Amino acid sequence: MSIVIDNETKTIVQGITGKNASLHTKFMLEYGTKIAGGVTPGKGGQEVEGVRVYDTVHQCLEKHPDAAVSSIWVPPRFAKDAILEAIDAGIKTVIVITECIPIHDMLYARQKAKEKGVVVIGGNTPGVISPGKALVGMLPKITFKPGRIGTIARSGAVTYYLANSLNLAGFGESTSVGLGGDPILGANYEDILRLFENDPETDAVVMAGEIGGVYEELAAPFIEHMLKPVIAYITGKAAPQGKRLGHAGAIIEGNMGTAHGKIEALQKHGAILAQTLSEIPILVKRALEDRKRQEKPG
Amino acid sequence: MRLYEFEAKKLFRKYMIPVPESVVISRDSFNELDKVVYPVVIKGQAFLGGRGKAGLVQFAECREEAEAMICSILGKKHGPFVIEKVLLEKKINIEREVYIAALIDRLEHKLLFMASKKGGVDIEAITKDDPGALLKYYFNPGEIMHGFKARTISGDLGFSSDGLGIVAGIILKVYKLFLGFDCKLVEINPLVLSKDGNIYALDAKIDLDEDAMFKHRELKEMGIVARHELGELTQREQIAKAKGIPYVDLDGDIGVFPGGAGFGIAAIDLITLYQGKPANFMDSGGAPTQEKLRAMLGLLVDNPKVKAIFGARFGGISRCDDWARAIVQYVKENKPEKPMIMRMAGNMEEQGRKILEQAKRNFPELFKKIKIYAVDTPIEQVIKETIRVAKTQIDTENPPEADTDCADKE
Repeated sequence: MSIVIDNETKTIVQGITGKNASLHTKFMLEYGTKIAGGVTPGKGGQEVEGVRVYDTVHQCLEKHPDAAVSSIWVPPRFAKDAILEAIDAGIKTVIVITECIPIHDMLYARQKAKEKGVVVIGGNTPGVISPGKALVGMLPKITFKPGRIGTIARSGAVTYYLANSLNLAGFGESTSVGLGGDPILGANYEDILRLFENDPETDAVVMAGEIGGVYEELAAPFIEHMLKPVIAYITGKAAPQGKRLGHAGAIIEGNMGTAHGKIEALQKHGAILAQTLSEIPILVKRALEDRKRQEKPG
Repeated sequence: MRLYEFEAKKLFRKYMIPVPESVVISRDSFNELDKVVYPVVIKGQAFLGGRGKAGLVQFAECREEAEAMICSILGKKHGPFVIEKVLLEKKINIEREVYIAALIDRLEHKLLFMASKKGGVDIEAITKDDPGALLKYYFNPGEIMHGFKARTISGDLGFSSDGLGIVAGIILKVYKLFLGFDCKLVEINPLVLSKDGNIYALDAKIDLDEDAMFKHRELKEMGIVARHELGELTQREQIAKAKGIPYVDLDGDIGVFPGGAGFGIAAIDLITLYQGKPANFMDSGGAPTQEKLRAMLGLLVDNPKVKAIFGARFGGISRCDDWARAIVQYVKENKPEKPMIMRMAGNMEEQGRKILEQAKRNFPELFKKIKIYAVDTPIEQVIKETIRVAKTQIDTENPPEADTDCADKE
């Protein structure tokens, strides 16, 4: 079974009647993702792409008690409430597509999730895909191929480029996880690295990081304890100091969050650093061969 | 979003946190000086610290002196910021000064209240030499502060008898303001006990969460609106900002037309790695409108420094067909001469490619210099080609004088 989602996982779409959510509900269904129902308060009884809409997550779960994952597509002002509703109803994994969630709101929702042992991915995540099995979010399916490499990135397009580079070299992904571009995130690199380390369907992990924040640095010590190789790609080396580069998180403030600091921390703890996207599959290949050689000496 | 001191103090007044009597003066409001009681402290309003050292904080004994000082401060540059306003406050005779702040600890994912007996100086310098001088009290997200906790902090700061309760009250109000306005930071450095026994917040720092502004409409009524705080904007950055496009000028010759911010950052790295010079950073945000995409392209085409444009769309929530449609319409309307080397992949790619191919058939002349690769071409290859093309453009515009030189040598 792949991490986070599988072909058996039943999911819910919160905010399903929105423009983006309904389009991607269609894409998710086409991909084979099992969608138990959608939720939009006040629109219960409607249908989106053949999926039944409920007023509340609780109502949806009454009809589909085996739904375990919910994706959140509501506007930022409703995000905290939507996450709390999912947790309260008993959902085990919440994937938050919504971006620009107020910091205090997200901290609160994150805290409640931790208390209940619920995994929150995002905000501002492109989603999660286990190629050939299921997709939750808005990742373009064409980009991903089934395989045995796990990927983790913060931004959407970088998630797609990682997979694309791996695929062009003949690799595929076990699962690709987008952590999200918001300043406060639910799951961090270490949480997902841990899942991949324990996943029998994953041989190696590629993680992409970017300037701003310290999530990459915090994950570095864990890499040292991993048996599986970790290839890291860090962007923002050429970014100007003190300028905010789009993502709320992507800003270099003083010495905190520089590409250099992240690269140093990751390298120190045994990650293999890639300079370009094309270099990633070359390093993956080399690392897997090294591993094989070590396993069968002589 | 950082606030000016005078704006932060407006919020302080709203929460009954005591601040000295004050007036704000800009070039066109010198008549406000009539209200001032001397001696007075004059403080240039800037986002950056270090105002004292920069000569932006001065004391005046009379109106004449004050006017001269204000004139010397207004228009002065502090870092990238030009001082446009000064705050005049009644001079307070200080008996004791302490430091208090409420902020978000992003590492711990908790709320943090900090306090130090050593107020009035650079708190970072203090904690470097003496980490124990900074007291920390953690709170869970959303957790309120109880009175006993505030009294504990007040006591830890060395206040007793009447002072204990008064400072505890201020601590509670600071924390309430911190939660109430979704702040990233509320800092008072220093909070002072005056010689006549009163307590005042002498300085005020507030950093608001841009993403939570929608909850606080009253800010607008108070004249506190979103602004750019990371230095002065170039003209092009101003145009971009007006159109809602995160954009940063970088001074190179390769225009970068990316999708979102994440790949925008990566693109700048890759162009630099291959010895090209990016002209900009840009971010389309998720699911940009056609109008926004055309405006993004316009920023690059209108920039005389840009010799070639590198574009990339990896369609997720932002669709390839929307992207293609925007490019086609832009090219038809503006007939740009600059070469564009791009790559398009992802959601609705097939539809996007159809739109582009048809446009190419209908307007072959307009699309002569526009190349759009697909998912099977590595992005590095597209970037290298753009750098090559940009170089050729420069060479044709400034033909090397090498030919004549060679002839001379021969």
